[in-house]
Amino acid sequence: MKKLSVRVVVGIGMLSSIAYILMLLNFPIPPFPNYLLIDFSDIPALIAAIVLSPLAGILVEFFKNVLNYFMTGSPTGVPIGHIANFTAGILFVLPTYYLFRKLKTRKGMTLSLIVGTVIMAVVMSILNYYVILPAYTFFLNTPAMSTPATRKLVVTAILPFNLVKGAIMSGIFMLIFIRLQKWISKQSVIKGI
Amino acid sequence: MMEKMIFGRYVPVDSVVHRMDPRSKLMVIFLFVCIIFLANNWITYALIAIYTLFMLGLSRIPGRFLYTGLKPILWVVLFTLVLQILFTKEGHVVVSIGSVKIYNEGIKQGIFISLRFFFLILMSSLLTLTTTPIEITDGLETLLHPLKKIHFPVHEMALMMSISLRFIPTLMEETDKIMKAQMARGVEFGSGPYKERMKAVIPLLIPLFVSSFKRAEELAIAMEARGYRGGEGRTKYRQLYWRLADSLQLVALFGLTALLFLLRS
Repeated sequence: MKKLSVRVVVGIGMLSSIAYILMLLNFPIPPFPNYLLIDFSDIPALIAAIVLSPLAGILVEFFKNVLNYFMTGSPTGVPIGHIANFTAGILFVLPTYYLFRKLKTRKGMTLSLIVGTVIMAVVMSILNYYVILPAYTFFLNTPAMSTPATRKLVVTAILPFNLVKGAIMSGIFMLIFIRLQKWISKQSVIKGI
Repeated sequence: MMEKMIFGRYVPVDSVVHRMDPRSKLMVIFLFVCIIFLANNWITYALIAIYTLFMLGLSRIPGRFLYTGLKPILWVVLFTLVLQILFTKEGHVVVSIGSVKIYNEGIKQGIFISLRFFFLILMSSLLTLTTTPIEITDGLETLLHPLKKIHFPVHEMALMMSISLRFIPTLMEETDKIMKAQMARGVEFGSGPYKERMKAVIPLLIPLFVSSFKRAEELAIAMEARGYRGGEGRTKYRQLYWRLADSLQLVALFGLTALLFLLRS
């Protein structure tokens, strides 16, 4: 791993605490089950990826979840929910960042966010079906869900939830991005020092 | 509220477990999570129970803190207990009410699995109840030190962790201040339709990002001005001390592991 400059290290720490605070302000969205929560904590990670580096984005997602696990713990003892959140965050932030690096305009950002949302929602559905939901039932010691039940949960709750979550996050991020575009490009230029 | 942000679930009581080195506590929890799966009969579960309750007793954490932490999980434990009892069909029938038959293996399995889950949660919350997040970070930094050999930036990771822990209360305060400033300008955060409520986040997030970047800049300059140059040869403000109690704790856990291997069926 490349050596991180002091400025990047401090910036990651700072954005992680914002992400942690935003993660505490989570809320469920009515039609979905109440363990699927929306929060805006992926926005600092996305800003970290764009302003500092993609690695910084990953680290912000990581620290946000580690902090949350230390502070509030997990109902299963093993941090499955946190691992799922971390994966979802990376799957949203990295595609958006790499596509935006190619396109660079405001329209490009919109397109990147849409692509990021779709990739996140689709991959998370697959992961939920094969890994996360079985892991939950294993660690909570409930009998494993039958294949049709899992499929139904993934198709009716998790996939649309992640799409809605991604869409809301993209909307909010877009509104922030429009106002901060100049500031962001200025920050990204001086990041070398 | 603010207290909770800084210390998480830490309960400030003076006890042997509180004074132990975070390194030994982390090692114990990690090992405990592995060896609890060795237990498979009454004696081994009894041993685990005695060990967990003994540690809890040593930590002198008031019962209500444990209870509030465990309350949401108790339902899950009860639920799995009932499910296991109803759906395991091995051994002989103990009770049959109408078409529902309860087997002795079901009761045994249900109790064992619930107990295992319960003790896992108890021990892992014991770590966060007796250790502050910053102590856990320090402990992890020294424990993961060997990873430096494969160029994993252990020190930088620990530094980022401590910076974010340090700035959580500051940024919470700042969030609060910005919220109040925007409320004075007529923004409503907690009410209105969903769409309006989401949009209200924007005048909160933008100043928060800009000011946090400013803060980061200042902190980075201050660190460089004081000659910060990474982890090599740096002395520590918070020292970790390995005491007799830590060694005893590890020995006790090794003893428990050996007993579990001997007594499991």
